[in-house]
Amino acid sequence: MLANILVTTLVNAAAYAMLAVGFSLIFGVGRIINLAHTAYYMLAGFSIYTLVATAGCPAAPAVLLTIALITVIAVLCYKLLIDPMREHETTVLIITIALALVFQELMLKYFGGQFRSVPSLARGFFVILGVQVTRQHALTCMVLVLILGAVWLLLQKTRLGLAIRATAQDKEVANLMGMDVSRIAAITAAISAALAATAGALVAPLNILEPHMWLHPLTIILAIVVLGGLGSIKGSILGAVIIALSESLVIFLLPQGSFLKGAFSLLIMIIVLLIRPEGLFGVALEGER
Amino acid sequence: MIRDMMGRIYRNFKGEILVLPGRTLALLVGLAIFIAPLLTRDIYILRIITLTSIFAVFAASWDLLSGFVGQLNLGHALFFGVAAYTSAMLNLYLKLPPLLTIPLGAIAAVAAGLAIGIPCLRLKGQYLSLATLAFPIILKGVVYIFKQYTGGELGVSGISRLAGSRLAECYIALLLGVSLCLLIWKITDSKLGLIFHAIREDEIAARASGINTTAYKLLAFCLSGLFAGIAGGFYAHYMRLAGPSMLDVMLSFQAIIWTIFGGIATVYGAVTGVVILFPLMEVMRAFPEIRMLFFAVTIVIVLRFMPEGVAPWFLDRVEKECPRCKERNAFTRRNCRVCRTLLIAGKEVSAGTEGQTGHPTD
Amino acid sequence: MLEVKELTVCYDTAMLLNEVSMEVHRGELVSLIGPNGAGKTTLMRTISGLVLWEKQMKRGTRAGNITITGEVYFQGRRIDQLPPHQIARMGLVLCPERRRPFSELTVEENLGAGAYLVRHRRRYQDTLELVYRTFPVLKKRSRQISATLSGGEQQMLAIGRALMTRPLLLCIDEPSTGLSPLIKQELFARIKEINESGITMLLVEQDVNLTLAMSTRSYILSHSKIVARGDRNELLADETIRRSYLGL
Ligand SMILES: Nc1ncnc2c1ncn2[C@@H]1O[C@H](COP(=O)(O)OP(=O)(O)OP(=O)(O)O)[C@@H](O)[C@H]1O
Ligand SMILES: [Mg+2]
Repeated sequence: MLANILVTTLVNAAAYAMLAVGFSLIFGVGRIINLAHTAYYMLAGFSIYTLVATAGCPAAPAVLLTIALITVIAVLCYKLLIDPMREHETTVLIITIALALVFQELMLKYFGGQFRSVPSLARGFFVILGVQVTRQHALTCMVLVLILGAVWLLLQKTRLGLAIRATAQDKEVANLMGMDVSRIAAITAAISAALAATAGALVAPLNILEPHMWLHPLTIILAIVVLGGLGSIKGSILGAVIIALSESLVIFLLPQGSFLKGAFSLLIMIIVLLIRPEGLFGVALEGER
Repeated sequence: MIRDMMGRIYRNFKGEILVLPGRTLALLVGLAIFIAPLLTRDIYILRIITLTSIFAVFAASWDLLSGFVGQLNLGHALFFGVAAYTSAMLNLYLKLPPLLTIPLGAIAAVAAGLAIGIPCLRLKGQYLSLATLAFPIILKGVVYIFKQYTGGELGVSGISRLAGSRLAECYIALLLGVSLCLLIWKITDSKLGLIFHAIREDEIAARASGINTTAYKLLAFCLSGLFAGIAGGFYAHYMRLAGPSMLDVMLSFQAIIWTIFGGIATVYGAVTGVVILFPLMEVMRAFPEIRMLFFAVTIVIVLRFMPEGVAPWFLDRVEKECPRCKERNAFTRRNCRVCRTLLIAGKEVSAGTEGQTGHPTD
Repeated sequence: MLEVKELTVCYDTAMLLNEVSMEVHRGELVSLIGPNGAGKTTLMRTISGLVLWEKQMKRGTRAGNITITGEVYFQGRRIDQLPPHQIARMGLVLCPERRRPFSELTVEENLGAGAYLVRHRRRYQDTLELVYRTFPVLKKRSRQISATLSGGEQQMLAIGRALMTRPLLLCIDEPSTGLSPLIKQELFARIKEINESGITMLLVEQDVNLTLAMSTRSYILSHSKIVARGDRNELLADETIRRSYLGL
């Protein structure tokens, strides 16, 4: 029992971290609050469902195909709808909400509102330290952590990663140093969407699938990135762990836990903000241009 | 004397409303909405008009706080929901009449404004927005915990109606809606509005010039809460229900969508947004399959091409701003109606600071 | 190398540059002097493409309209329609006013970001060596977050970062603001060194004496116009210029 909770927490933490890191990246580089971010996660879930349950595609290609598909959709949306509106901060907010609604309604239209589940991509159990863990949970967790590590390396060690971080700091100077800022922002949007899609493709088979499943993770992601400090990758990961833990605790300890987990996570966020107004790893955004 | 007064009103009317196409159109639409309930007693249309008025106040109150003061509130449903629940529970358990419960509900919303305003004032920009998003969701959690009083998912139902007939309710809502929106507009047009504007543009500069920005921001939270609260209590009594959907994230987003669709930081934009979108969405109930999809696609497409919102886009086409006195003019005029400056399409270019100091070589 | 022809820049109805013409030849150190608000920074930002970029960013908003007329040539190619990153790629690099390091990045990462265009590992190492030789402090602080550097160190970092791009023409906007006199002289010596190493320079400065002494030629910009040009002796020979613009 306890072990299961632990594993679920770990998977959730990794999935949240992935979503939050993607959200942070595009916020940092484009100053865009992308409220459609978790809609990509939802879309990926449905894509996996279609490919695996309906078309009978094997797991690995289904995941790769899903990631590619969602990334293409996201980049198109970014280029056509979000990027041209960048200077109208509030308009971007609305366009991204509307986009999420469009995706939700499209899925409702084609799949209906009923709960679905994806057949598991890997069967069987592992026994780790005497505890039985489903193979799927263990694999998902491992892959998620690996990918997070890869993103970390990409950001810290590569030329592109450095350019992304520099652009997030000061677009004008990045421009002066020869970086094509709008291209870097588009690449960041792609990475961000790919992360959301990966999270969706891998975690969807563990959970129930339905077209409204983007709204809850969205509020959680917002709590996480604010908690960790907007735009901070380190903060996003730590925040994800904190929130995933607290969610598990609430569900485990309280009778109406599943109703309350969102409220509780947000409460934690508020408390952290009251102590540190710019989140755990945030820097004051004041005076930036 | 009465003739004199009438004359003044007429001149005011002619000089302030009829000269501007935007205001004339607003007046015509307003009149049509006022007459419509008399011509058709259709419950369905009455309902649309009533709810449109309520939500116009709700959206305008969001605009006051977020558009004018720049404190982007993503959890505006908090005010609406707090007032709705307060009104409903006071009515149900203490049997108070709507005439009392609605103001009390609004006061509760003001208290909520203070309660979130005080901690949130330490936060800046996007942190503030995202923190405000949390409050209605947290409150929704509280509603679920105290199921026995709040009715949990089902909400508080069976509360008393606003007035005897649907028609009466409709006119009360219309009058209230029009007067509150005008009041909000007047506030933004006053000295207070100017201070709000200053805070949005540059808070540090505003503080440096002696404005107590903290107090004014709190005031904005309270005012916004007050108006949204009146709308919320009214809504609860009209629907005879206060439920958790009134604390929903989507309701907060609705206020934002309406306002930005119409034009942020204008008040009339918020009202325009509601007047266009809400009835449209009610009519679309005939096509439940594509209703939300239509809504979302409309928003995306319209905002893609009118990023400032519908109302400013429209006004830019039928009105021109005088470059000298900033007074607005109908697009048909060649001279400004106040200062007679020529209103030409091409911009004149004045040579910056040149010529202000004597040229040293002469 | 750089040729500016009748460049006029307006923000809405305010004219920030009024038919400015100037040129910089290979190997020169040209300085641009003028009172506060004359438009020096605007000129630098226009040359490096930032004003055009700003104009394109703000298209469709109420922020006001920017108009740019006139021509800018760099190495014979017209650049006034190019985005900043392409201009940088051609070798014209601006080290902006107020330093603006990538403040959360370390010193070494800042320099690395400057070397974005230098893909070759060897060339990168060589340039880094060179920058560290010019500004030894940077090497000592290479792992420090740049926001925590002192003002003078940040300025050296900003120049170092611009040098990492391997520019042909380096424009520096007010490098000496807020530096103590000693550090300032030190910095100017370095700038002179960089110029002598073969990099052409366009320098905006407030310290008239030091600047005139080390530059090949100077332009004086006042009220958005070029009001005088020439080398040190020519400028100092004119009594009115000396009194009105140079304060000498
Ligand atoms: N984005 C802008 N919008 C409107 N006016 C501007 C803008 N940027 C600069 N200005 C104005 O243009 C004028 C010239 O500014 P600029 O920064 O080029 O001066 P400068 O010569 O660099 O002055 P300093 O020596 O103080 O740095 C100033 O009066 C300034 O207020
Ligand atoms: Mg300057």
